Amino acid sequence: MTLVAKGAAVINRTCHRSHRRTSLSTRKRQRGLDVGETLIEIVLTVVIIGISVTALLSGLATAGSAGNNQRISVQTDDVMRNYAEVTKAAARGCVVGGSYVVSFGAPKGFTVVSSPADTKCPDITSTKLVTLKVTGPTGIAKQMQIRLRTP
Amino acid sequence: MSAPASHRHEDRGAALILAIGFVVMIGAISAGLMGLVTSSVNNRGSLEAIRDRQYAADGAIEEAVTQVRQVKASALGACALDTGTATSTLDAYAIRVDWQNACGVVRTFDGLVVAQRNVIFAACLDTGTACTDSSTIIRASVNFEQGAAGAVTKTYVQSWSVNQ
Repeated sequence: MTLVAKGAAVINRTCHRSHRRTSLSTRKRQRGLDVGETLIEIVLTVVIIGISVTALLSGLATAGSAGNNQRISVQTDDVMRNYAEVTKAAARGCVVGGSYVVSFGAPKGFTVVSSPADTKCPDITSTKLVTLKVTGPTGIAKQMQIRLRTP
Repeated sequence: MSAPASHRHEDRGAALILAIGFVVMIGAISAGLMGLVTSSVNNRGSLEAIRDRQYAADGAIEEAVTQVRQVKASALGACALDTGTATSTLDAYAIRVDWQNACGVVRTFDGLVVAQRNVIFAACLDTGTACTDSSTIIRASVNFEQGAAGAVTKTYVQSWSVNQ
């Protein structure tokens, strides 16, 4: 019994060694093939992801800048409306031959200009066409026309 | 021997597919961002157009009030039924103003009943047809104070409503 068992163990060990040798050589071959494929794939992947990330970052930057412009544009619009209302309110106190006073403090970074610059009240037979121009901090400018009347 | 080989075959190109998936995802994010920006810019453009149109209508009514002021109603018939139309262009918007007398009477402190010359103005985009309730941008009611000879001495805005 003991002899038979010893013999079986020897045969088993021999088989195991031979199998290990085979699987080692296969793995070596596999590794050899995988190395090349992985390198190409990684290079391609890095290039593609690099391009994508660049595109995403530039898209985010564009969106951010557009959002900023949008904000300033809306502020400019707000300043324009306020300036127009203040000018109209000033002209409501007009009398023939008089002048009106527009007291408007533009927010920091904004400039307001009205054309014509004179503040003479219009005659009762006609209205006065005034062009308002507002320039924002980044140079965004808007203009609008209003008509003033002596009540 | 054949199992690892087939595994290897299945895995080929997996990284590339992942990268393409990533590109598609980034593309979707970028498209969403661009959509957001475009929508904001369009909304702002629409709001600016509405503002310009409202101020154009405002200016057109001011112009019409000045014109109506010159229409001297006779001392006796200050409130005769009267209508008229005026047009004006401001900020590239052609505006039509329809006006009509809507006079009333008031009792003075000494018991006299006197007529009040009120005029209602409706401003809309000039399409060649009269302003309707749905097309009116601004509707205003103005009172014209007249002297004994009929000349208007002062105007009072009674109401000024911006409809759209």
